[in-house]
Amino acid sequence: MNLLTCLVLAAALLFSGCRGEEPAPQRAEVEEGAGGMVIVAMGDSLTAGHGVSFEQSYPSQLEKKLQAAGYAIRVINAGVSAETSSGALARLDWVLTMNPDIVILETGANDGLRGIDPQVAEDNIRRILGTLHERGITVVLAGMRMVRNLGPEYVARFDGIYPRLAKESGVVFMPFFLEGVAMAGRFNLEDGIHPNAAGYEKIVDNLLPYVVQAIEKHQAQAGGG
Amino acid sequence: MKLHHLFRDIIHNRGQAVIFTLCVALSMVSLVAVNSLRRDVRGVIAEDAAALQGGDVIVRSGGEFTPALRDELARVVGEGMATATTAWEFHSVARREGGEAVLFSNIKAVSGGYPLYGTVELRSGRPFAEVLRPGAVVVGQALLDRLGLAVGDHLLLGEGRLQIVDVVVRESQRPVEFFTFGPRVFMSEGDLAITGLVGKGSRTSYRWLLRLADPGAAETVAARLQARAGEGERVATAATSGSRIKRFFDNLLFFLSLIAVFTLLLAGIGMQSSLAALLRRQVKTIAILRALGAGNRHILGHYLGLVLLLGLCGVILGIGGGLMLKGAVFQLLAGLLPEKLTLEASLADLFQGLGLGLTAVLFFTFLPLAGIARIKPAAIFRKETAGGLRRAMPRLALLLGLLLLSAVVVLQLDDLITGLWFMAAVLLLVAVMGGLAHLVLAGLARLDISSLALRQAVRSLSRPGNASRTVVVTLASALAVLFSIYLVEKNLRAAYIESYPADAPNLFFLDIQKDQRADFIDLVGSDAELFPVVRARLLAINDREIDRRREVERRGDSLSREFNLTYRDSLLADEKLVAGKGLFGGNRAPGGLPPVSLLDSVVEIGDMEIGDTLHFSIQGVSLKAEATSIRSRTRSLLYPFFYFVFPEETLKAAPQTFFAALKVPQGEASLLENRVVSRFPNVSPINVGESAVELGKLMAKLSLLVAFFASLSILAGGLILVGSILATRLARLEEAVHYKILGGDTAFVLKVFGLENLVLALLSGGAALLVAELGSWALCHLVLDISFRPYPLASLVAVGAITTVVVALGLLASVSVIVKKPGAYLREHSS
Amino acid sequence: MASPILVGERLCKSYVRGDRKIQVLYEVSLAVDQGEFLVIAGSSGSGKTTLLSILSGLDLPSSGRVILGGRDITGLSEDQLAPLRNRQTGFVFQAFHLIPSLNALENVMFPAELGKDPEARAKAMTLLERVGLSARAGNFPEQLSGGEQQRVAICRAVINRPALLFADEPTGNLDSRNSEGIVELLLDLHRNQGTTLVMATHSPALAARADRLVRLHDGAVVTSADRSL
Repeated sequence: MNLLTCLVLAAALLFSGCRGEEPAPQRAEVEEGAGGMVIVAMGDSLTAGHGVSFEQSYPSQLEKKLQAAGYAIRVINAGVSAETSSGALARLDWVLTMNPDIVILETGANDGLRGIDPQVAEDNIRRILGTLHERGITVVLAGMRMVRNLGPEYVARFDGIYPRLAKESGVVFMPFFLEGVAMAGRFNLEDGIHPNAAGYEKIVDNLLPYVVQAIEKHQAQAGGG
Repeated sequence: MKLHHLFRDIIHNRGQAVIFTLCVALSMVSLVAVNSLRRDVRGVIAEDAAALQGGDVIVRSGGEFTPALRDELARVVGEGMATATTAWEFHSVARREGGEAVLFSNIKAVSGGYPLYGTVELRSGRPFAEVLRPGAVVVGQALLDRLGLAVGDHLLLGEGRLQIVDVVVRESQRPVEFFTFGPRVFMSEGDLAITGLVGKGSRTSYRWLLRLADPGAAETVAARLQARAGEGERVATAATSGSRIKRFFDNLLFFLSLIAVFTLLLAGIGMQSSLAALLRRQVKTIAILRALGAGNRHILGHYLGLVLLLGLCGVILGIGGGLMLKGAVFQLLAGLLPEKLTLEASLADLFQGLGLGLTAVLFFTFLPLAGIARIKPAAIFRKETAGGLRRAMPRLALLLGLLLLSAVVVLQLDDLITGLWFMAAVLLLVAVMGGLAHLVLAGLARLDISSLALRQAVRSLSRPGNASRTVVVTLASALAVLFSIYLVEKNLRAAYIESYPADAPNLFFLDIQKDQRADFIDLVGSDAELFPVVRARLLAINDREIDRRREVERRGDSLSREFNLTYRDSLLADEKLVAGKGLFGGNRAPGGLPPVSLLDSVVEIGDMEIGDTLHFSIQGVSLKAEATSIRSRTRSLLYPFFYFVFPEETLKAAPQTFFAALKVPQGEASLLENRVVSRFPNVSPINVGESAVELGKLMAKLSLLVAFFASLSILAGGLILVGSILATRLARLEEAVHYKILGGDTAFVLKVFGLENLVLALLSGGAALLVAELGSWALCHLVLDISFRPYPLASLVAVGAITTVVVALGLLASVSVIVKKPGAYLREHSS
Repeated sequence: MASPILVGERLCKSYVRGDRKIQVLYEVSLAVDQGEFLVIAGSSGSGKTTLLSILSGLDLPSSGRVILGGRDITGLSEDQLAPLRNRQTGFVFQAFHLIPSLNALENVMFPAELGKDPEARAKAMTLLERVGLSARAGNFPEQLSGGEQQRVAICRAVINRPALLFADEPTGNLDSRNSEGIVELLLDLHRNQGTTLVMATHSPALAARADRLVRLHDGAVVTSADRSL
């Protein structure tokens, strides 16, 4: 029944993008010299908020929490669904045009889910961290762990990337972005891999201390330099 | 009624009798073939869906199944209602034993009995279930190529070491998973534990496939399982999952049915007109019979016998032809239709065909036969041989014909509403044609034409008591139908077939980075098409923010998703501009907003127009652009399409990746994948494999099928044409004699006949084209749900061809008239 | 005495009908002088109409020849005959044979238009006026009575002023009152314009007014009487 293929094709095509995804919009326009601190959340679908509404994506929730805590900080969602670390590296210059004070870097998961050699992700992230460091931007690196089905060898290589890079670069390091959320049914959408609103809330709770740490670090750097 | 009288009448009028019989046969052929085919296909379509989905009922989950559902499934199986297999699916990195090579692969772990439906063809030809034993894997050829392995070698999966025992050639379920990363690996579910790949912390698609003892119970079983299903556990039936398949076949059969009904209609007109012509020649005979005291019953009985005799011949011919056609369709669709579908002519086919055929004959011949009752004995004294039966299509017959047609159409299309729509369209068609013909003929009659031949030709059309209007309405309606079939077929081709050309790309690469572009092209060759992709979101149209909540509820595409923007300076091969001056609106004032070209489908979604200001966010950076043009595409589904196209300078600096589409000879795809991936590890290949090629071939077959059915209706149109020329031969002969008596030479007579036919053909063809364009647009949009292109040039060529045929046939039929001495005609026809 | 405008020499005509051969004309010879009014008389089936069609070139004889204006027209093709029919001869039929799609005026104009006569319309109008049908010029044949149709047919036959006018039972389909008018019209044309008139009729009254009478019986000439003497 190969005839059917064409119908399936029409639906399965990647070209039309990921249909049905409910993205978080980017309302904030970046203006030069705007007051307060700017955090750019750079990442893949976990940052873009695949499958949840704008208000539920983690950058939005984080901004609310930070502002509630008295920080005059804007958090810009610069997430691109399905992006690999190579994509992240390629658009770094673009992200830099937003003049971030802090970048939360969450990338590499798609490299892993496509079985791309972990060395690629490691090199890419290393280069991103290097550039951000040169610009004096404070970084929160979100660690990622790969699903078991890729095989112990691959998983071990992949999971090793983030602690190693954190140690090398001295950035603020959140060991696992999806801590307590991954594989927990109530925190994930039906696809089993993207967090739901509750999942993002938990992520933000986990992430907040690292961000506060980065803010303090950045302020200290700014004051000192 | 005496039989030898019937035969004598038939032989005397053999031309019209043959046309009548062929019309009856033709009306049957496609109806019988389509109906028979439809019943067979419907019968197995459920099974097809099951084969594609792998079971009658499918239970899915992203995590391990809950105990409640597992228990319920065990009960269902225990009660003998179903057999079940598992099919866990996940991705993993397969490794080569004793080597560095690794490959991201698509693993399917199945239990005994798989596949319950459909097939997994192996290179060895052995049955899948026998081959896939514990400790073994069956893999796709691409895996062997890319890892440098052979059958007999071992593959490392997680912590397991499994032996490659065979190669998958074809999977009946594969089409569902057309776009997947990595080649296929089949393993036994029992070996999963050894690999340690599935369990807590892995991402696996869990699936149970059920084959039911009674496939009709699918809904019941599904409901039973659904009742026990926990969160994230979904139960579906093959029928619901496979609704697209059903829709495709419904579309195909619906279209064939439409053609069959059109053919019936055309053939009906042919029957009606050929019988009318036959009876016209009998007017004098009938009048004499009546003058001698023969009653209506006697005369009607005689001609009814004639009609039934010819009709029966036609029906038998038609049923035979229909079943032969079905056989031919089987040959044509070998491999497309499921193997279980056997070619058989059921008794039902025969009876249905016989019933349909005789009903059609009776309805379409009712009017000419009823005309017999109106013939007065006085007709003996009238010289006008064409009188009496001339006025062909009065309201009553139209109404009766429509009644029949409505019934047949509703029956045939299997849908009351669509059937009624169709009938309304037919009514409209006849009304429109009648109106158009009336207007144009009346207008022509008023014209003061200085050329004698042309004036004579036009006058011949509008002479009092002439049937020109009927002829135009008939011819134009027939042509409108033919043109519609032609246009719809062309559009269907464009939508379903030309979208899969033989040279369609079969290998795609995602995530090529900007700085890898040149090297990538060096590696794969310059045939590769690279498309830049810039991810962005649309924030507002003319400062009106996108309502995200509403967008999410939208059934089709949503404006709130991330879009892929691109840049280039020209249209793609499958695109055309439908609005705007050039892609970016020609010369633009400096300092204005950058231009953006929109695809018509997004224009529809967002209710946008040229001049609108679109506000994008390109990963946090704002971009406002002015819509300068609207593009349309011709549905080349295998090509990427982009809603928003910018000039290069606007997006040059934006973050972008490239997407590549390649056509690679099948044997070389894996090697190329290896070369690309080892050079650019970040690039992900997608190999659509042989499916695309196979698809192209099958689509070509489908096209042939549709063309074949359409040609039958064209044949019906041809019969009408020949019949009408035969029917008007006498009148033409008389006209030719008049011209010659008055001193007209051959050239003059030919000129008048040629011009008359030319005007008739152009009038009918023009009206037909107009109606056909509108009709097929409606059909494409409202019923088939495909995009419509008018094909103006091809249509005009078609009108030209039809005109040439009509004029040529007309002249051909007039040649014998011209060489004859007028005296001979006068002698034969004046006494 | 003027030279004959029309000569038929030893004209035979036979058809095959079914398996029988029917001899319609049997060695008919006759000559028609310029300006003469000749009646071919005979009962139904005597071969009058056949003789007239052969003499006028509408039909071919099985043997023999027809000489029109000194020219042998027997072997001419239809296209060679066309200009002769248009200019030199006119034909009036028993069944009128008007072109049904043309109105009275157009029917009359038709031969003149074929001959590219720019005066066609004016000439036709004049003729219709002369036969008292100018008011009916725009009517189609089916809207005209038999007598009116035949008058139109005569106008049509003479619009190009042919030297020779054939009339085949011109009053055969008409009542006596209409017949009288038609006969007067034909004779008037014959007398005033010097048109040679060859008429087939079985009406003794009409035959009596002819210059000369040729009587046919079973396809052969039985009498040829010169009445003008």
